[in-house]
Amino acid sequence: MTPVGQVLAQWGFTRAVDVMSTAALGAGIIASTGEMARLLGQRPFPTLSHEGERFGIFLGSFPTGRGPLVAFVVYPLGTSSLGIVQLFFEHFAADLQEASPKEPATQRVLAADFERDLTDSLNALFGR
Amino acid sequence: MSLVNFTTREITCKIVYYGPGRSGKTRNLQYVYERVPEERRGRMISLATQTDRTLFFDFLPIDLGQISGFVTRFQLYTVPGQVYYNATRRLVLQGADGVVFVADSQARQLDENIESLQNLQSNLLELGQDIRQLPLVLQYNKQDLPSELILTPGEMDEALNFRGAPSFPADALHGAGVFESLKATSALVLRRLAAGVTE
Repeated sequence: MTPVGQVLAQWGFTRAVDVMSTAALGAGIIASTGEMARLLGQRPFPTLSHEGERFGIFLGSFPTGRGPLVAFVVYPLGTSSLGIVQLFFEHFAADLQEASPKEPATQRVLAADFERDLTDSLNALFGR
Repeated sequence: MSLVNFTTREITCKIVYYGPGRSGKTRNLQYVYERVPEERRGRMISLATQTDRTLFFDFLPIDLGQISGFVTRFQLYTVPGQVYYNATRRLVLQGADGVVFVADSQARQLDENIESLQNLQSNLLELGQDIRQLPLVLQYNKQDLPSELILTPGEMDEALNFRGAPSFPADALHGAGVFESLKATSALVLRRLAAGVTE
């Protein structure tokens, strides 16, 4: 996901959790701890983790050619561990950094009927 | 900043409800949550104090459906209005594509409205954004209160709307003006996105 909580890709048993809400809360953690780090006069924490009764969560930030991204992992404590998650995260971050394009994104036009679709969708959703 | 994913054909935009404490930001989201069909909205999350004052943010994802072949989603956030929480307010504002400024129409709240609008401007500046470049809609809430207690939409415009942004009188408790404000902000955000995404 992006550091502000926009989900880019998901993998695993993601239907078991509300991904969108989880990402928003994860972004809140990244933002608040980043600010705490700034107040302490240091760089933002690169990784954060919490363990509960059944699940652990892991948040890891990493740079790419197109800006920083965040990996948000929810893992079951019975079958996985923080060490394994950290190991896979390091590989994942390195692979993604290597694969990410360095040049700016090619911009493409949204269709000419964008305005019509927009008006129809807004009217349908908001009922007026 | 809007996220356009050309691979999955998805657009995600962030709209932030800003304004002084107790102006009705959370109520706006609650009304949207109550009225938008279940299949078009996610769970509403509120990080609030025990007395129901927003501590960090409220969050509500809504799905606009297909626009120009893109699945279009909006993430609605509110900020904590209390002066004390400026640091968290600034964090929530990060990456906003549009802002609904919810003002309290009560005459005695005018100074708080002005202070909050100035605070929005200064927080945006700290985040490297110019308020003049950001889609902004003003909502004058609590217009249902007795007329002797409130300022008219015209008077509110005079006091707050120096940019000539779209503005709407509202009664968020009963829903008047809520969808109008959100619809106008959504349209501004997507039009800006469409104008910026060129071949």
